[in-house]
Amino acid sequence: MKFWKYFGLRLLTWALTIFIGVTFIFFIPRMFPSDPVETMIGQIQSRSGQMDPQQMESLRRSLRVQFGLEGSLGEQYVSFLWKGLLHFDFGPSLMSYPTPAGEIISTYLPYTLMLSLFSTILAWCVGNFIGLLAGFRKDKRSSKIMEGIAICIYPIPYFIIALVLQIVFAFLLGWFPLQTTITMMGTTADYIASLLKASVLPAISLLLVGTGWWIISMKSMSSTTAAEDFVLYARYRGLSEGKIGRSYVFRNSILTQVTALAMSLGGVFNGSIMTEIIFSYPGVGTLIQKAILQSDYNMILGCITISIVAISTATLIADLIYPLIDPRIRYS
Amino acid sequence: MRKFLSLLLAVLMIASLSGIAFAEETTAVGTPRTETLIVETQTPTDVPGQFNSYMQGTQMGFGIHQLMSAMMWEMDTVKGEQFGEVAEGMPESNEDFTEHIVKIRQGIKWSDGEDLNADDVVFTFNMIMSNKGISQCDYYNTVFASIEKVDDYTVKFVTKESFPRLALKFGVTIWGNDCRIVPEHIYSKVEDVTTFKDSEPVVAGPYTVKAYDELGNWILYERREDWQNSTVGVVTGKMPQAKYVWFRYLGDDTTRQMSMINNEADILCEVTPEILDVMTSYNDKIACWYNEFPYATSDDPCSKGLSFMMGKAPYDNVDFRWGITLAMNFDEISMNVFDGVGRASCFPILTATSAMQELYYKPLLPWLENEFVLDLGDGTTVKPFDSGYAARMAQKLGIKGTEDELIDMFGIGCWKYDPEAATKLLIKAGLEKKDDGWYYNGKPFVINMTYLADTEAQAGRGVIAAYDQLTKFGLKCNLSSESSATWDTNAAIGSYDIAGYWPTGGITRDLYSQINGWDADLIVPLGERGSGQGSRWNNAEATEIIHKLAKVSATSDESYELGMEFVKIAIQDMPFIGFHSGVKFVPTNSTYWTNYPCAENPYNGPWWWWSCFKYITTEITPAA
Amino acid sequence: MRKFWKNVNARFKIGLIITLIFLVIGFVVYYFPHVNPFTYNSYPKKLQPSWEHWLGTTSRGQDVAWLLVEAIHNSLSIGLIVATIGTVVGVLVGLIAGFSGGIVDRVLTVITDTFVVIPSLPILVLMTALMKGTSTVMLMALVLAMFAWAWPSRQIRSMALSMKEREFIQTAWFSGEGTLQVVVTEILPYALTWSLSNFMNATLSAIASESSLAVLGLSPANLISLGNMIQWARDYNAIFARQWFWIGSPIVATVILFIGLFMLITGYNDYLSKKRGR
Repeated sequence: MKFWKYFGLRLLTWALTIFIGVTFIFFIPRMFPSDPVETMIGQIQSRSGQMDPQQMESLRRSLRVQFGLEGSLGEQYVSFLWKGLLHFDFGPSLMSYPTPAGEIISTYLPYTLMLSLFSTILAWCVGNFIGLLAGFRKDKRSSKIMEGIAICIYPIPYFIIALVLQIVFAFLLGWFPLQTTITMMGTTADYIASLLKASVLPAISLLLVGTGWWIISMKSMSSTTAAEDFVLYARYRGLSEGKIGRSYVFRNSILTQVTALAMSLGGVFNGSIMTEIIFSYPGVGTLIQKAILQSDYNMILGCITISIVAISTATLIADLIYPLIDPRIRYS
Repeated sequence: MRKFLSLLLAVLMIASLSGIAFAEETTAVGTPRTETLIVETQTPTDVPGQFNSYMQGTQMGFGIHQLMSAMMWEMDTVKGEQFGEVAEGMPESNEDFTEHIVKIRQGIKWSDGEDLNADDVVFTFNMIMSNKGISQCDYYNTVFASIEKVDDYTVKFVTKESFPRLALKFGVTIWGNDCRIVPEHIYSKVEDVTTFKDSEPVVAGPYTVKAYDELGNWILYERREDWQNSTVGVVTGKMPQAKYVWFRYLGDDTTRQMSMINNEADILCEVTPEILDVMTSYNDKIACWYNEFPYATSDDPCSKGLSFMMGKAPYDNVDFRWGITLAMNFDEISMNVFDGVGRASCFPILTATSAMQELYYKPLLPWLENEFVLDLGDGTTVKPFDSGYAARMAQKLGIKGTEDELIDMFGIGCWKYDPEAATKLLIKAGLEKKDDGWYYNGKPFVINMTYLADTEAQAGRGVIAAYDQLTKFGLKCNLSSESSATWDTNAAIGSYDIAGYWPTGGITRDLYSQINGWDADLIVPLGERGSGQGSRWNNAEATEIIHKLAKVSATSDESYELGMEFVKIAIQDMPFIGFHSGVKFVPTNSTYWTNYPCAENPYNGPWWWWSCFKYITTEITPAA
Repeated sequence: MRKFWKNVNARFKIGLIITLIFLVIGFVVYYFPHVNPFTYNSYPKKLQPSWEHWLGTTSRGQDVAWLLVEAIHNSLSIGLIVATIGTVVGVLVGLIAGFSGGIVDRVLTVITDTFVVIPSLPILVLMTALMKGTSTVMLMALVLAMFAWAWPSRQIRSMALSMKEREFIQTAWFSGEGTLQVVVTEILPYALTWSLSNFMNATLSAIASESSLAVLGLSPANLISLGNMIQWARDYNAIFARQWFWIGSPIVATVILFIGLFMLITGYNDYLSKKRGR
């Protein structure tokens, strides 16, 4: 019974969070003097020279109708809530009118997901493994070195690491391609090979940053656990160090890390912007940036709504699972 | 551990070596590198596989209009003259320019073997006029009364009013034109042409699509087997040399230059001088328009400079605008923009391209040097023109050349740097100079200077350099950059003081299409969106000339005289301070391909992103 | 003081020293008289480091060393403003939510959760792209602060909830002290110790956000910050032109500052947990 009450409340919070977040995103671009119609006209003009005044006026009229910017703000909002939030239909992309924004997003989403999920999970595994060792065998020199490296890499802003990697490995050494060419022609093997080749550098950069954090947090967690009474007791009982590490320290420290992983999986969109722009890797991050610069309202809404839903759902799941795996916590 | 590491290193090195060997023979899309011309495109597309130019969002600059589109009239960018592509010659109009007979070129075939004839042209125009979803629809309907087929290779256009500039408006002048002829036998069967993607396009241009990236980063084009029947084949009789043209998006500046250095790209769109410098030092096969200083071509028809928002005081005051002009040291600005590279283009609105320099700039030189004076308001006058610029720059940069060469390089001159006169003019305009700076209407005077971020380095650096100059002069300025998302709106509603955008041009002798946006009748109150006239220049004389010019044939002498008069008026009223003409660093890599257009062999301009690129493809030849 | 210094760990000491050096550069050296480093052509271009120009000059004729000093000043200022706003608002909201309970708590929690959940970078990109024209240091800081308060607020709330149950608070309550008094005398000290580490964290992440935005070209055009300095050097192709001092100095400074701050934070946390353990 208590669980259901907790569950209900949590679900309500989840829905409210998404609602508030999305409302926020809907109104911000509309509060500024940005107008997709003017942007479109500006773009046409900046490449093909000055437009005839008459021509400009007629273009403006027809774009306004096509983009569906006719109704009042309230009407636009209601129709967005109904279509966008409930059916994930964000309307046509304004810059690539009339192709639906959803269709464009779904082309790019798999690439973002693949890269970020892969590197997040791998970073989690590697980082926790090293962190566990470092925390459990606190006084060994290798642990200290590992931790030192983590502390020096983790706080460096991501773009610096990405830039350095790109210059060293793609330009100076020439080991990896400079820009992403993913061949759709040829066999599936070709496709996968080109995809892998293009993903290596971005993945390494994400790994480096991600791993640092997991090492640090796991280390502090496992060193606390390693000092607790039940571990000491296990030592007195004469259990092997490996056994203690695996079944005592590891199992107890990993719980928090699982929830943290769920949270960071939801947040993969956040990191993808920088990665994708620096490595010109196709994905939702580049899409968001482009959409913002061209005031493509529908596309902005689409991308950010999806990411808000993803993060809040991940948090919801983490919160619900956590008490299941860690008996020390109750639903409250 | 050490063993493992060295093994790993060895494997990686072998892999990278084989990667390089592999890259030398074929491109990443599997075509032989020696038969593939790799051209950069500036933006990736969000709608891969969409080649219909009448469906919105199609990215024409992705090789689509450079290689496939069929234009009515194309541009000879060297002579500044149009010629017929689909049309055979220029239109023949009646006395009052309401009926126009256009002959269609015989022999052009679509890539599926069908003939291109009058039916296709008539169909295209009528398709545009009857489809509300095509953005040009409204405009075409205001211009044309009817478009009819006379015979298989003749079309009659009837306009609602006198329309002397049919070819200029519906053919290419710069970049391209949105009137592109489509195959009737395909498009007439389509239910809604505005949602038809046309993924396997049937075209009249010399190339067709072989493959494209589903993520929108590249398109691979293949030369038509029957290229003789394509537009380029029929017009020139020459074969485009590259079997494949691969248009690709190369990412940010870092990756762009690295790929060109590594020979992974043959042609880049535009770079900064710093990038060019680095690229040429790493790879001696990389060159630009000129082999030595000034490297860049100054013939892009958009001059960059400062645009005033003349809908409010004191920016609406001519003395204020001239005061600002004379307060800046153009030599320093020039050094700050591109290290002195670029032809000074001091006239407002009209860009000093080579053609315009001969047509309008040089003839006005005596007037500028002898007659044109500014009244400083305290009884003194000043001649603001300074013809010593070219000589000074040559000396400063150590360039030697004849006077003509230097004028071609640096322009006929610039506006004087005369802070004293500038001070007087600003005072005449109603500003007050106090110990702690300038005041206007009793309040401290601040100028907000804006530039558009991340698009045109030349324009952005120009504004930053001007900010630097005006600050040194003693004016208080704010500097900000805007993204195009807000700038386009702010420019239209007049929400800025001084901005670096480019309502300029100059490619054809007839100035009408360049200047008709400066018609004072188009001015709308601040805060509203007008059509043209973002900077709200209210000049009755200029407006009268525009109205007169509208009814005059583009090829007549009268059009030229009116144009000249307009330029004089603009200079006196200074609605826009011109810095340099469009300076473009357009690098090419001659490892695999040679004979790109360049200063020594200027058979065309280096405009890879314009639709005239198809005529360049016949000249670019494989390196031995 | 000496005792404190003896007790803290090495990491804290190193971190503190690095941070202090940066504070001195940013807030003391900065006030030494110098030419406005933004002005172009103050000096010849592209000079190598010398006694006059410790880090050489840029392609725009600016002195790199002073540019760096100014950048450190501005970046630290942004970081500190954001952290102050974020911490104050966060602590207040957290305490109010934690102690009032009921409907107020619910509402505040939902809002806080929203801000924790909303992906901050896309929104920052959105906002800064739209207000580029008008943005200033303060505005930039305010926008960044929008996302800086939610996390501390959430932590403080749960801290407050657990404290409510503690004995000494209950005692205080029974002895007739008002809620406000209890909060001020008993809880705030605890919250503050925790906030200090959060404060440093917020400073760090604000500087990081600002420089990321700058590298995307979204920071105000005339704001000299560490990120913008990197971006300008990149605009002028300093990496490939091997102007290592121009591009390198802001990168190295950022890296050292970040490592220093981070060591300070972790060192401080370790110190706290040890102290509690004792």
